[in-house]
Amino acid sequence: MTRRPDVVVAGGGVAGVMAAITARRHGLAVTLVDDNATPGGQVFREPSAFARTVTPPDHERREGDRLRELLRRSGVRVLSGWGIWSVQPGYRLDLSNDFAVQVLEAGSLVAATGAVERFFPFAGWTDPAVMGLAGASLLMRAGGVLPGRRTLVAGAGPLLFSVAHQVLDAGGEVVAIVDTATRTQWAARAATLALDPARLKTGVAWMARLARAGIPVLGGAVIRQARRGEDDLDVTIGSVRGGAPVRSVRCDAIACGYGLKPSLGLTRMLKARHVFDEAAGYWHPHADPFGRTDVAGLYVTGDGAGVRGAQMARLRGILTGHGLAFDHGRIDAATLAHLARPLLRAMRRLEVVSRAMTSLMNPRPAIMKEAEMHAPDTLMCRCERVSIAAGGQAIRDGAGDMNQFKAWTRCGMGPCQGRMCEDSARQLLARHTARAPTEVGAFTQRLPLRPVPVRALSGNFAYADIVLPQAAPP
Amino acid sequence: MSAVMSRPAVMDVAVLGAGVMGSTAALFLARQGRRVALIDRKAIFREASGVNAGTLTLNMTRAALVPHALKGREMWLEARSWLGRDVGAVATPGLSLAFTEAECALLEERAAARREMGAPISVVGAARALEVEPGLNTTVRAAAYCPLDGFIPAYGVGRGYCLALCEAGVEIMENSAVDGIARAGGHYEIVSAGQVIARARSIVLAGGAWLERMMAWLGLRMRVKCLVNQLVVTERLPPVMGSVVSIANGLLSLKQFVNGTVVMGGGWQGRGHVDTGETSVIPANLVGNVRLASFTIPRLSEARIARIWLGFESETDDAMPAIGPIPGWENAFVIGCVHSGFTSGPYMGRLLAQAMDGQAVDLKAFDPARLLLSLPSAHKGFCS
Ligand SMILES: Cc1cc2nc3c(=O)[nH]c(=O)nc-3n(C[C@H](O)[C@H](O)[C@H](O)COP(=O)(O)OP(=O)(O)OC[C@H]3O[C@@H](n4cnc5c(N)ncnc54)[C@H](O)[C@@H]3O)c2cc1C
Ligand SMILES: Cc1cc2nc3c(=O)[nH]c(=O)nc-3n(C[C@H](O)[C@H](O)[C@H](O)COP(=O)(O)OP(=O)(O)OC[C@H]3O[C@@H](n4cnc5c(N)ncnc54)[C@H](O)[C@@H]3O)c2cc1C
Repeated sequence: MTRRPDVVVAGGGVAGVMAAITARRHGLAVTLVDDNATPGGQVFREPSAFARTVTPPDHERREGDRLRELLRRSGVRVLSGWGIWSVQPGYRLDLSNDFAVQVLEAGSLVAATGAVERFFPFAGWTDPAVMGLAGASLLMRAGGVLPGRRTLVAGAGPLLFSVAHQVLDAGGEVVAIVDTATRTQWAARAATLALDPARLKTGVAWMARLARAGIPVLGGAVIRQARRGEDDLDVTIGSVRGGAPVRSVRCDAIACGYGLKPSLGLTRMLKARHVFDEAAGYWHPHADPFGRTDVAGLYVTGDGAGVRGAQMARLRGILTGHGLAFDHGRIDAATLAHLARPLLRAMRRLEVVSRAMTSLMNPRPAIMKEAEMHAPDTLMCRCERVSIAAGGQAIRDGAGDMNQFKAWTRCGMGPCQGRMCEDSARQLLARHTARAPTEVGAFTQRLPLRPVPVRALSGNFAYADIVLPQAAPP
Repeated sequence: MSAVMSRPAVMDVAVLGAGVMGSTAALFLARQGRRVALIDRKAIFREASGVNAGTLTLNMTRAALVPHALKGREMWLEARSWLGRDVGAVATPGLSLAFTEAECALLEERAAARREMGAPISVVGAARALEVEPGLNTTVRAAAYCPLDGFIPAYGVGRGYCLALCEAGVEIMENSAVDGIARAGGHYEIVSAGQVIARARSIVLAGGAWLERMMAWLGLRMRVKCLVNQLVVTERLPPVMGSVVSIANGLLSLKQFVNGTVVMGGGWQGRGHVDTGETSVIPANLVGNVRLASFTIPRLSEARIARIWLGFESETDDAMPAIGPIPGWENAFVIGCVHSGFTSGPYMGRLLAQAMDGQAVDLKAFDPARLLLSLPSAHKGFCS
C-alpha cells in the first residue's frame, strides 16, 4: 500500500507533467494518472519505435523525451495506462484498464485532461477514410502512418496547418486545405502573432511551404459532401455562406476537425462553475491563474482550463504546481508572488495570440445549417445513428433543452458520452429555438467518464462473494 | 402593475408534476373536456418517469400491486389505442432465479404470494429456465417463470406523451418550479418565484419523490420513503438474452433492449437528496450490482459499462399509492408514491381522472388519509 498522496494529477500532457513535477519539487507527494502507455499528452506523445525510424526528430519529439526524462527523475508516482472513469468529492478517483480497477484518494485534484476535438457532420463523414485532425496527427506522430496517399485537410483553426505540415513531413500529399475562416479573418488576427515570435516563425514557414507545394487553401469554405468512389472519395466543397458548390476534389483520406474544446468530464462531475466563452464557442471551468476552481481542492490546468496551446499549457502547469505548494503551506505568499511573476508576464503575451486562435477555431452556427439544408439525412450522432433530420423533428415535437433532446433521440447516449455530438446538438437546438447556446444547456455528465469493462469492475468472484443488501420486501 | 390584466385565466385543473402519474391524469382529464394546465419545474418526464428501468415485471412488483401492474402493463403494450402512438413496449417472459437453497425457498414463497394476486407465475426447474433463457448461468437451481413480463425504453416515452397532451389541448408549462399554492376566491393560485403562474378550480399534486414537499404547502405531512435507485447500462451487445431476469431476493432486474444495450437494476441504492437533486454512486453497490448481473448472464462479463445513473423513487410503507382527495382541502387531489409506479402509472393516472369525473372507481386502498401524520413537517428529507 503506497501512502496517500497530497495531490493527484489527472492527465499526463505537458500541463499535468509540469504541475506534478513543480508540486513535487516543493515537497508534496504527487501521483500522476494518464491513460496512455507513456506520458506526453497530445503534443508530446511518445512515438512508437516504428515512428521514430520513419519521421524526422522534430521539436515535439525532443521536448517530449526531455519531459519524460524530467518526470522519471522527479519522484512523482506515475500511473500510465489507467483511465479515470469516476470522480467523487473529497477526492476519490476510480481508475480502470482492460483488466482491473483501482482507487486513488487525495485532498487535492488537478484536472489536466487537455482538450478534445470539436466536430460537425457533413454528408459522408462516417466513411472510414474520414478521421479527425487529432486522430490523423496521432496516427502520424505516434504511429508513423499517413492518413492516406492524398489527404484533404478540412475544418477550422491552426491545427489545419499543423496537420498539413505533418502530412508533408511524412511524405504524403495534401490535396487542399478547406477552412471555415476566411483570409480576412486570419489577416485580422495575424498581427497578434508578432507577440509570439516562435509561433509566427512556425506559421510563416508552414504557409511558405504550402505555397511552394502549390496546395490550395480554400477560405470561408466547408465540405458539403464526400461520396465514396471506386477507390477514393469525391468531395464537394461549398461556401460557409451557402450557395452553389465552390469546387470538387478527389482524395483518399479526409482529416477534418473544428478546433479544440476543453475536456470537461472531471470538472462537470464535480459541479465546478463553468462559463461559456463566446469567441471560442465552448464551456470551460472558471479558474484563477493558478487553476483554482470554485470547488475547494480542485484545480484545472492546461488546455482543460481553456484551449491556449502547448506553450501556455506548460506555463499554466508550472503555475498550478506553485499554487498547490502555497495552498499546502509549503511556500509563503511572497515566494508564490516571486515565482509567479515571470510566468504570468510570459502568459500575458501568449494569451493575446492564443485567444485570437481560439476564435478562428469557432465555426459558428452556420455550419449545422449548411449540413441540415444540404444533407438532412446525415448522422449527427454516430454512436446512436441519429440523423440531423431526426434531431430537428424531436425539437419540433417539444424537446426544448439538451437533456430532453438526448432522451428523445438517444443522441449523446452512446459510448462517446456525447463528446462527438454535443456541439452539433447545441447548435441545432439553439438555431431551431432561436436561443443562445448557453440557454439550451449541456448534456448532463454521467458516469463512467469512459466505458469500463465489466470484467475489470467485477474482478474474479464467486456467488457467495457478492455482498447483497437486504432483500426487497415481498 | 397591471396585475388584473396579466393574471392567468382560471383553468379547470392544474396538475403539478409531469411524470407518468401527473401526465396521464392530465391527458384523461383533458379528454373529458376540461381545461388543464400541466406544470413541471423541469421538462416533461425528466425525473423518475424518464430515467427508470422500464421493467413491466410481475416477478419484482409487490404482491399487493399485481392486479394494478397487470392493467398498467396491458395499457403500455396497447399505447397506440389510448396515447395515439407506440412507445416501444416489448412483451417478453420473465424469470426470477434461485442459485442457492435458501433462494429456492424464497422463490416458492414469493411466487405463491404473487400467484394468489393473479400473476400467472409457476416455479420451474433449471432445464426449463435455460430453455426460456439460454444465456443464463447454468448453475441456476430453479426459476419463477411468468409469461407476462416486458419492458419499455422509458427515456423516450415523454415524447409520445408530449404530443398526445398537445393534441388533447393540455397547456404544458415546463421549467416552472412551483413553490406554493394559495386559495383565492374559490380557486387555487399556483405560485412560482413569487408570481402566480396559473389559477385553477382543482389541483392535482403529482410530484413523485417531491410529493412530501408539495403536501407540506397544504400544511400536511405525508409519510413516504425515498429511494435513490441505481441503474447501469452496457454498450450495445449482440443478443445475450431475451427475457426479463431477476433473482429471488428481488435485487436484480436485467434485460436487453432492442438496440442491444443491457440495463442492470434491482433497487441497489446510491446516495442522494431530493432537495438538492444531487446523487452519487456508492462504489460497493456498483460492484455488487454488476457482479450479480454478470454472474446471472455470464456473457455480460465481456461487455463494457457505458453509463451509470441514479434516480429518485418514492414509495409508501404498504407499497400502495396515494390516490384520491386530499383531506381538508376542497377539489385538491394527490397521486403518486407507488412502488414500481412506471408499470402501473397509466392505469393509476386514468383512475384518478375517472374518479374526478365522478365515475365509480374504488380508491379505498389508495386513500391518502392513511399516510398523513398529524404533526407538522420538519421539512427533512428521508434520503440521506
Ligand atoms: C492534433 C493536435 C495537434 C496539436 N498541435 C498543437 C501544436 O502544434 N501546438 C500547440 O501549441 N498545441 C497543439 N495542440 C493543442 C495541444 O493539445 C495542447 O496545447 C497541449 O497538448 C495541452 O496540453 P495539456 O497537458 O493541457 O493536455 P494534453 O496534452 O491533451 O494531455 C491530457 C492528457 O490527459 C489524458 N486524459 C484525459 N482524460 C483522461 C482520463 N479520464 N483518464 C486518464 N487520462 C486522461 C489524455 O489522454 C492526455 O494524455 C494540438 C492538439 C491536437 C489535438
Ligand atoms: C432508477 C429508477 C428505476 C425504476 N425502475 C422501475 C421499473 O423498472 N419499473 C417500474 O414500474 N417502475 C420503476 N421505477 C419507479 C417509477 O419510475 C416511478 O414510480 C414513477 O415514474 C413515478 O412517477 P411520478 O409521476 O409519480 O413521479 P416523477 O416521474 O418523478 O414525476 C414527478 C414530477 O414532479 C415534478 N416536480 C417536483 N417538484 C416540483 C415542483 N415544486 N414544481 C413543479 N414540478 C415539480 C418533477 O420535476 C417530476 O417531473 C424506477 C424508478 C427509478 C428512480
